[in-house]
Amino acid sequence: MEGHPTLAAEDITRRYKSSGRGVSSVSLAVAPGEVVGLVGPNGSGKSTLLRVLSTAIKPDSGSFRVCGFDGIGEKRKVRARLGLMMDRPTHYSDLTGWANAYLFARSYGVEEEKVGNVLSELFEYFDLAEYMDERVKTYSYGMGKKLALIEALAHGPELLLLDEPSLGLDYTSQLAYQRKVREFSDTGASVLLASNQVDEVEALCDRVVFLHRGEVITEGTPEELVSSVGGIRRIVASLRNPVEYGKVSEVPGVERVATEGRELVVHCEERPNIVADVVGEIVRSGGDITNLAVERPNLSDVFVKLTGEALARED
Amino acid sequence: MRINPPDAYWKKEVSLFFGKRFALFIKMLYPLAIIGPVAASGIPPEFAAAIVGIVAIMAGTFGAGESLTNDINDGILVRFSLTPTSPYRIVGEILAVNAILDFIQLLPALAVVYLIHTPPLAWVLAATFAVFVTLVMANAIGILLANFTSSPADVLLYATIILFPLIYLSGFFRNQNPEGILAVLRDFVPFAYMNDALKEVFGVASGMSPAEVFILPAIICAVAAVAVCLTAPRLLSPRL
Repeated sequence: MEGHPTLAAEDITRRYKSSGRGVSSVSLAVAPGEVVGLVGPNGSGKSTLLRVLSTAIKPDSGSFRVCGFDGIGEKRKVRARLGLMMDRPTHYSDLTGWANAYLFARSYGVEEEKVGNVLSELFEYFDLAEYMDERVKTYSYGMGKKLALIEALAHGPELLLLDEPSLGLDYTSQLAYQRKVREFSDTGASVLLASNQVDEVEALCDRVVFLHRGEVITEGTPEELVSSVGGIRRIVASLRNPVEYGKVSEVPGVERVATEGRELVVHCEERPNIVADVVGEIVRSGGDITNLAVERPNLSDVFVKLTGEALARED
Repeated sequence: MRINPPDAYWKKEVSLFFGKRFALFIKMLYPLAIIGPVAASGIPPEFAAAIVGIVAIMAGTFGAGESLTNDINDGILVRFSLTPTSPYRIVGEILAVNAILDFIQLLPALAVVYLIHTPPLAWVLAATFAVFVTLVMANAIGILLANFTSSPADVLLYATIILFPLIYLSGFFRNQNPEGILAVLRDFVPFAYMNDALKEVFGVASGMSPAEVFILPAIICAVAAVAVCLTAPRLLSPRL
């Protein structure tokens, strides 16, 4: 299979009859050793696409291959090569964490002589060793996610499909998971992860695919995507008091103003003196600034720009 | 052979069955609590046989259907079906292991019946086999129902709708000697063979031979088991 992508999806369409949502004509490829992020607003089709690629549901049309095997006609061969972590971790709650992981590892074909060592290492790595003999119903949400990660990784899959993998993980576990994904991809395995944690995607992914309303609206490396938003930058002002920010949005070069808690986030173009102009207007509007940050564009800005453009096109 | 930690679906079921001691105690006790007094009482043998039969049918159908819909709703069954394990094998294991575990629950109660009524060995074996075959059939019905609903409550409702006519056809109560089309249909219901075998155990001649009890329901159940296994791709797909 050398030279072939680990995953090659062509024109995948899957629409839910009940809601009309889903994905339309999605094509994407993931190369060996590549980590690809699927990003998009809620309902954009990320989970649907992963369901199709995991062979859980059939596409209405289109095809995909995993390691050269047809995802529709050779499901079991495809499944043997996948590591899956669904958005909602599910386990046999009356079994222990170890028993759950053991059942999955053996079902994926990990040999009996190896399974103990493989699982012990992963339980240690994800700090679950202490709890491995406890029933899963006593686990927290985050512990359930870690167990799902162990189940996804134990058999050494060639393609890892992860849906919101770090949601619910504590900070240390997030770092551990990111490190493990990187180690995993360094061995030549591929990863496709759907996430709304844009900073995680930026840190982890070699390439990002943006979905909106079931369609791919753009894709590229994080650097390419960030540079595509041009000189747009973000001014984040922490305020002691809420202000009416209508005037701030009228400052030349300001594209969008939003509040996030006590912070006023101003998306704007790059131009001389724009920071001074924005800050001046905030102060004139009665804002008492306690902290000010001027941030370079990141994937969040790409996300906002792309979804905004897509919505504008629909209007 | 090691059951825990499980390395196959059926071992997981066995592990869970024996893992919860209080639930296990109740599961083993309730057939005994119903069937024991019936066996010891002087009620007409037809009704004693009917009660034992209904306990077997209900245990099989409700058990498989309800636990299966719970696992489907939980998403764990769909997750497990995404391993390379064949979906037909998964459903086959669900059917076989649930029937065997239900059978284990009923065995002490059946032993009490045999001890009290001391039927001939041929009828002991035939009745025991017929109860097992009934449990396979009942579990197959439960699994079939799980194809059409994801609600455990609906399974109970649909099971009742399906089982009552089958129980009637089998001649448990009013329809003891069916004729015409009812007699033909009765021959295709495995519960009828169990009923006849249990009647023999309780001391009423049924006109059936032990060999018939071994052969005919086994064939019907094998067909039902294969048919229900063929529903695996639908049963194990996500409910969207």
